[in-house]
Amino acid sequence: MNANATQFLTLVRREILRFVRRPYNTFLPPIITNALYFSVFGVILGSRIGEIAGVSYLQFVLPGLVVLGAISDSFENASFTIFHGRWNDYIQAVLTSPMSNRSMVAAYVSASALRGIVTSLLIVGVGLVFTSVPVANPVYLVSFLLVITTLFGGLGVIGGLWASDFDYLTVMNQFILRPLVFFGAVFYSLEVLPAFWRNVSLLNPMVYMVNGVRYGMIGVTEIDPNTSLAVLTGTTVVVLSVDYLLFKRGYGLAE
Amino acid sequence: MTEPAIRASGLQKRYGDVQALDDLELTVEQGEFFGLLGPNGAGKTTFINTLVGLVHKDAGTAEVFGFDVEDDYREARDRIGVAPQEFNVDRFFPIIEVLEHKAGYHGIGRKEARERAEDALKTVGIWDKRDTRFDWLSGGMKRRFVLARALVSDPDLLILDEPTAGVDVQLRHDLWDIINRMNDAGTTILLTTHYIEEAERLCDRVAIMDDGQKVEVATPDDLMARGTDTIVLELAEMPRTAPRLDVEGITDIELTDEGLAVTAMGGSQTAPAIMRELEAKGHTVNSLEIRRASLEEVFVDMTRDDREYAEVSA
Repeated sequence: MNANATQFLTLVRREILRFVRRPYNTFLPPIITNALYFSVFGVILGSRIGEIAGVSYLQFVLPGLVVLGAISDSFENASFTIFHGRWNDYIQAVLTSPMSNRSMVAAYVSASALRGIVTSLLIVGVGLVFTSVPVANPVYLVSFLLVITTLFGGLGVIGGLWASDFDYLTVMNQFILRPLVFFGAVFYSLEVLPAFWRNVSLLNPMVYMVNGVRYGMIGVTEIDPNTSLAVLTGTTVVVLSVDYLLFKRGYGLAE
Repeated sequence: MTEPAIRASGLQKRYGDVQALDDLELTVEQGEFFGLLGPNGAGKTTFINTLVGLVHKDAGTAEVFGFDVEDDYREARDRIGVAPQEFNVDRFFPIIEVLEHKAGYHGIGRKEARERAEDALKTVGIWDKRDTRFDWLSGGMKRRFVLARALVSDPDLLILDEPTAGVDVQLRHDLWDIINRMNDAGTTILLTTHYIEEAERLCDRVAIMDDGQKVEVATPDDLMARGTDTIVLELAEMPRTAPRLDVEGITDIELTDEGLAVTAMGGSQTAPAIMRELEAKGHTVNSLEIRRASLEEVFVDMTRDDREYAEVSA
């Protein structure tokens, strides 16, 4: 194995070990939270709502909850690990090594995307306790999950470099990401909205992610999945480029 | 031609109103044990951080073994092991894994990284703490660990930013032994320290920095020779007033309880002329003692301004 690959894999391994060895902090919270979602929205309320788009309400909200968990955890992983490393200066062990800036970004984003995907699988696992989980378009499902976890891993890198206190991380996750997801058609169909709010909702990028994953799971979408995938992929490339430039400039990392 | 281990030219770095590096020119040859002395704020740590990429210079060039620290940063950093003054260690993992990760960041495969991590911990004497996290180590062990981390990539240039700050005498000597062995094996050492004795004892050459500039570079002995020595002469009959001596290099003469104290540049060279001059004036010299200027005194002379120097002699 050449030195570049060893450097990259070492940082990926370090990042994976960090979240795997702390399941009570990383994997247990989404399991409990989603079990509560399924219980309340799926079983208690869902039984009164009936079918949406030809599937049970539980199956309808499941893709949105998968997206919520995937993007929250991939964003949180990247932003926390970079900010914590800056806060305690130990990220300097990476920065003073011969790793390329490209490898550093790729490692942080890959590990964060992986955590988002693991969280997605755990949420699906919890969903299986309550209902059957269809996979109508596996290629789209995998593609959307890969792209959105990579995108939010990349955004998490920016957040981790920008944050100057732990409060910043909370603000980004609780006050920006979660509202966007909740208004991103996770719990309802765009069809039920008045035309004005439906058009406003289309400005929310989460709508495209939720609909994409929903298309992958239950085969129903209100937006063309190919367009969504293309736009999200393009956005991901732009975000990763920004990550690279920030590392190259030493933004938040060097004086 | 062999490239120097470090070559800095016209190096500048400004933080707001503070000029941390001001046209710094410095060359450290391969295999040298080089000391960097200077009061707090002299620019020592800024210079080190420029070499390892934690500070981006405003102007000038800096090279490590001929590799530019920004254009060829990967080659330059691969040759450097740095033990910073502050503890910047990954708290999530046992220390042996922290070392394995550091070796891996330098492209060393897992099996060899493990072996190197074990060797480094044995070298600094904390092998039995390998499964402990950094936070649970004692202060001295933390200092040892930071050195181990700098060694694990087997660097050609070892940068030590005040490696013995706050450690006890025994540990200081242990660390000196380790560093000396590294230097004997060919590793170039760049050491910053506030302990002047450390520089005198270890360094082939020292640079004195102040206000982001190099004030002087010389061997510790050369620097001390530039200081003013004190020659104390006990005369058979002490005069009531200090005699006037026409000898080049004398800066002061006074009578003290110990005898006639003559302050002069290069005491060893000046003493015979002083004795001849005294005997020519009818005095008999019973004994003579030359008290050499310490490197610390030379350092203070060269960097003296309105700042406090309490830390210099800490």
